Amino acid sequence: MSDIFPKWTNKLPGQIILGGLLVGAAVAVGVTYYATPKYTRVGYKPVQPVAFSHAIHADQLGLDCRYCHNAVEKSWYSNVPASSVCMNCHNQVLKDDPKLALVRESFETGEPIPWVQVHKVPDYVYFNHSVHVNRGFSCVECHGEVNKMDEVYHAKPFGMSFCVECHRDPAGRIRPLDKITDLDWTWSDDAEEAAELQRENGEQLVHDWRVESLVNCSACHR
Amino acid sequence: MNTVSPTTKTSQTGPSYWRSLDELADSPEFKQWADREFPEGASENEGGVNRRDFVKLMSASFMLAGFGLTGCRRPEETIIPFSKMPEGYVHGVAKYFATAMPTRRNAIPLLAKSADGRPVKLEGNAEHPLSGGGTDTFAQASLLNLYDPDRSRQALHSGEVVDLGAATSHLDSLADKYARNRGQGLSFLARESSSPTRRRLQAELKSKLPQATWHEYEPVSFGATAAAAELAFGRAVNPSYHLNKAERIISLDCDFLGDEEGSYSNIKGFADGRAVEKPGDHMNRLYVVEGLMTLTGSNADHRLRVPTSGVFAVAAALLAEALDQVGAGANDSQIGALKNSLKQIASTANVSSEWVAEAVKDLASHKGHSLVLAGYRQPLAVHLLALALNAVLGSIGETVEFLAGRSAAAKSISDLKAALDSGSVETLVLVGGNPAYDAPADLNWVDAQKKASEVIRLGYYDDESSTGVTWHIPETHFLENWGDAETSDGTRVAIQPLIAPLFGGLSDIELIGRLLKLEEPKGHALVRASYDQEVAGANDEGWKKFLHDGFVANSAASPLSLSADGFQWSAVAPSILNAETATPPSIESLELVFHRDASMDDGQFNNNGWMQEYPDPMTKLTWDNVALLSRKTASALNVKNGELVQINLSGASIEGPVWVQPGLADFTVGLALGYGRTKAGRIGAFKGESVGFNVNPLRTSNAPYIAPAASIKATGQTHELCATQDHWSMEGRAIVREANLEQFNEKPDFSHNMDLEAHGAHIPNAEDGLPKPIYQHPYNVRDSLKSDIHQWGMTIDLNRCVGCSACVIACQSENNIPIVGKEQVGNSREMHWMRIDRYYSGGVEAKDGLNGLEGDSDQQHQRWIDDPQVVTQPMLCQHCESAPCESVCPVNATVHDHEGINVMAYNRCVGTRYCSNNCAWKVRRFNFFDYNKRPLEALYEGPLAERSKDDLDIVAMAKNPQVTVRMRGVMEKCTFCTQRIEEAKIQQKVAAKDSGEIEVPDGVIKTACEQACPADAIVFGNTLDPESRVSKLKANPRNYSVLGFLDTRPRTTYLAKVRNPNPEMPDYYDMPLSTQEYSESMGDPFSDHHGSAHGDGHEAHPAEAGSANGQSGGHH
Repeated sequence: MSDIFPKWTNKLPGQIILGGLLVGAAVAVGVTYYATPKYTRVGYKPVQPVAFSHAIHADQLGLDCRYCHNAVEKSWYSNVPASSVCMNCHNQVLKDDPKLALVRESFETGEPIPWVQVHKVPDYVYFNHSVHVNRGFSCVECHGEVNKMDEVYHAKPFGMSFCVECHRDPAGRIRPLDKITDLDWTWSDDAEEAAELQRENGEQLVHDWRVESLVNCSACHR
Repeated sequence: MNTVSPTTKTSQTGPSYWRSLDELADSPEFKQWADREFPEGASENEGGVNRRDFVKLMSASFMLAGFGLTGCRRPEETIIPFSKMPEGYVHGVAKYFATAMPTRRNAIPLLAKSADGRPVKLEGNAEHPLSGGGTDTFAQASLLNLYDPDRSRQALHSGEVVDLGAATSHLDSLADKYARNRGQGLSFLARESSSPTRRRLQAELKSKLPQATWHEYEPVSFGATAAAAELAFGRAVNPSYHLNKAERIISLDCDFLGDEEGSYSNIKGFADGRAVEKPGDHMNRLYVVEGLMTLTGSNADHRLRVPTSGVFAVAAALLAEALDQVGAGANDSQIGALKNSLKQIASTANVSSEWVAEAVKDLASHKGHSLVLAGYRQPLAVHLLALALNAVLGSIGETVEFLAGRSAAAKSISDLKAALDSGSVETLVLVGGNPAYDAPADLNWVDAQKKASEVIRLGYYDDESSTGVTWHIPETHFLENWGDAETSDGTRVAIQPLIAPLFGGLSDIELIGRLLKLEEPKGHALVRASYDQEVAGANDEGWKKFLHDGFVANSAASPLSLSADGFQWSAVAPSILNAETATPPSIESLELVFHRDASMDDGQFNNNGWMQEYPDPMTKLTWDNVALLSRKTASALNVKNGELVQINLSGASIEGPVWVQPGLADFTVGLALGYGRTKAGRIGAFKGESVGFNVNPLRTSNAPYIAPAASIKATGQTHELCATQDHWSMEGRAIVREANLEQFNEKPDFSHNMDLEAHGAHIPNAEDGLPKPIYQHPYNVRDSLKSDIHQWGMTIDLNRCVGCSACVIACQSENNIPIVGKEQVGNSREMHWMRIDRYYSGGVEAKDGLNGLEGDSDQQHQRWIDDPQVVTQPMLCQHCESAPCESVCPVNATVHDHEGINVMAYNRCVGTRYCSNNCAWKVRRFNFFDYNKRPLEALYEGPLAERSKDDLDIVAMAKNPQVTVRMRGVMEKCTFCTQRIEEAKIQQKVAAKDSGEIEVPDGVIKTACEQACPADAIVFGNTLDPESRVSKLKANPRNYSVLGFLDTRPRTTYLAKVRNPNPEMPDYYDMPLSTQEYSESMGDPFSDHHGSAHGDGHEAHPAEAGSANGQSGGHH
């Protein structure tokens, strides 16, 4: 037999098992790190056809989110504004700025501006904007601090665990209805106190408004 | 991770911009530059790469790509907003527009749901005075016709595709030509219509082009009652029925719940008169005299089975008896001779005099609350007899009213044929319709049509009638054009477009408008002009309200003050007495009965997949028509189900498969219209073969509905037929529970006293004395799961349900349910989430020792099916609390939610099908194939067969965007329309804002089936709210669960059926036949002993139950 299986083959099964385990572990670690929305999506920042800065409009100028995204309180879909909305101001402000050429062109020709989509949930998820913003959940919870972004990027992972985290504990995120689009708002300037107040007031609001903690399939999937 | 900015496309329509002077110059250098992604040299490797280097480089980059997973990034998608915001538009919020589906002499008022600019669902307009929100299967399925990829898309000139503009300018030149000669040589052939605008244009046509002729043809025409009434009252009238006021109804071969026009409103009235809440409530009684087994016949309390041609004699007997019993009042002196002649006719009727006498007595004792109806298949004489009966029984002005009508202005298709033969028709305009397929055979229409020197066809399909025409113009769908119509009560309804014509085309009024050379022959202008001219107080506000409401309020015609005294017996009598009494059919001389098909109508829905796959309410057959025979006829001819036979009638013959229909008159052959199309789309001509067989070659103008003296010959071949329900009997099981009215009055909770749950000892007991469920209750396992705001439930009132199946198609439309094709239906793979189970019962004596162990193919030979009783039961997911499907799912794809819904998470499903195996109601459906993505004719080729993009794009528009489109390998089932529930809850929460009022009020959520149901049989709601309709119905003593003994606590429960037979009638039955069969093995559910022994519900009385077991016997 030793002719067929030399001595070194004695160690082979152990090596194969060990090797297999190592490769398996590497794959597992790789997948958990790389194949998750946290890695694949966060940070996605496509170049937009028009260099629109949320930081200038929302933060410096203080425009409310809903001036442009006006359907957010009525529809599941939060709309990207029509070129005509941009032109409400830009027919007077920076009306000859070359950066706005596409907007003016779009307004004149009727050809829409092809904005590149940043945030998207899969087709089998029926997310509804209106019910979130009307019941105390701010834009910032999912979209991050858009008011600080020059170019919009994907700030949160948008995986199912991200959604469920909040659905399990709405009290940890809920805020008064007049602070929904005030993205910088917290219960207190002091981070620790803010967290305490969030818990305390959050639970009160969840109770008073009868906010349900929906973690059933039918809440999002149809 | 920045990606390259997409280049902006230059506008096609607006001013063109150039990016550089080179582009403007369009120089070859620029062209080369534009074709190359990078300038010359930028992407070439100068060093000269050999193969080895290349592979190294590539594998390294693949490695990097793999680690970075950039390849896994989802594709870049763009958001295309408006460039100018339309006022009032909110993307993602569905809008509803009131419109109507025009039918022959009526219309179905609808609310069309528009999602993102396209209609996706049609619902009944509940505000219309006649409607109550009900629809029918055709209205539900008409949506799919709009998105039919096979519909006519282009204008054709002698078969060549031309621009629509060329066709319309030809119409303009024709208009000029005929304006000069006042229409000499111009003929129209149209379908019937109730449109006031079309009526107005026809009148204009008559004055401007008096020489032109207008003909109308309907393969199935509902004009006979109006024609009879015109004769009887000496003026043009239209009948309007009030079935809700009718306590006693006789139908003379009138399928008013099924294939008669306006069934959506008839069913509502009938169901309202039939509903009983508590003992002592009034309930209507239905007598049916018929030859075919119709939906109405299946709902009858007393059904008299006579040949269709024999209905006349029975009607004569009924009138003679009524004149004997009641007399004709002021007209009594006129009727002596008539009465004697009637008795002579009656003597030929194959009916016991007692049946007639008692039925008439029953109706006469409900003077003013009875109603007699005659069906479209019957000749004028029967309609006159029905009217006379109504006059004698005092129904006129009560249950039937007459509205001012118009005498028929149109000539017939036979007149047109004569004109064509004489060569006087130069231009023939076919306004819709399909005469080449459905005109009477004796007219030889295909040849006749060729005799006109020019034929212009307005057609929805490029079909038989468009073959060889000079011009074919695509017709628009009613959801694409402007129009108007009148419902049977005379109310004017609006038809407004939900979407611009997908492929261009004209509507009927636009075509006529063009030939009239009107200034603005556009639908909107024409309809508006009619409105302005004809509606009192018309103004802009009124017009807006008209479009908003969908109808002109209070525009219903006021009933004429006609009474029985105005009934002109002398005018009526000759038509009755001159009618021929038919010799009863026999095996040598069979009677053919042609009927409108429940799926195809007269062929209009032939290319509609939903309708092809919709099981016929009686036969449950899909994708086929058959020659219906009775058991006796079939055995005399020695043929079985599926055998092909040749049917001969005076020289013509057709071939089709046989189907034995329980309850059919002997020696009658029922033949459905609308199949066997020679030129149809990919559904109607599936895999190139026409579906079903064409019966029109046997139809003649003289005998369009009933043709005597036919013969049948077996061919020895067979044809595969695919029915969705193979077994006909409940075999004594208490699936549908029913009682007679007296029994219900005495023991309203009889349904609790049936089946095993009444026999408590059979349910295993837990220690606490309560029955121990077989399956875990999710809320017992995890109490925190249960919502204290909503718990959904549904009730289905079997006493209201007539089995019309509008719910089935509504569900299909709402929930993106695919069709699977005949072959897969044959494999029991149909996908309907909701089905209507139909059971026949024959009673103990007739069943005669049969125990259900015989094969399904033996049923057709058994005697009990000759005069069966029929029950129908909508069956859908029962949403069990302790659901058997949930506990066997290995991946938790089907689980309970907090509101009591058994949900399906499609993404989790791996397709083990364990759930379906463990479902006792068989309501789960599995996607064996990618029905949505693959062509239906090549399912087995899998991914090798791709559906064309054009197909996918068009059909995708019919999908409800709120519901996932499922793929292969996924289980699916009724979700209680979870998308509607979620939407209602969200709207409630949006409105609640910072308050806690998030409970959805009762009635806000209507499931698709509930909304479509014309009978209001289905009620959905919150069972936690004691005031909700569903809670109250669940407290009704008739409430029971199907297979309740499994103790799965279904959320869908049924209200037991009550029948109302007349104890004086010779064919009275003291217990519904299915209950007879039940009590044979399980004991009498109405007996006191039985009831007290078991109690109701789940309490166990082991000691007493033992003795009761002995008494009821043998159900262990």
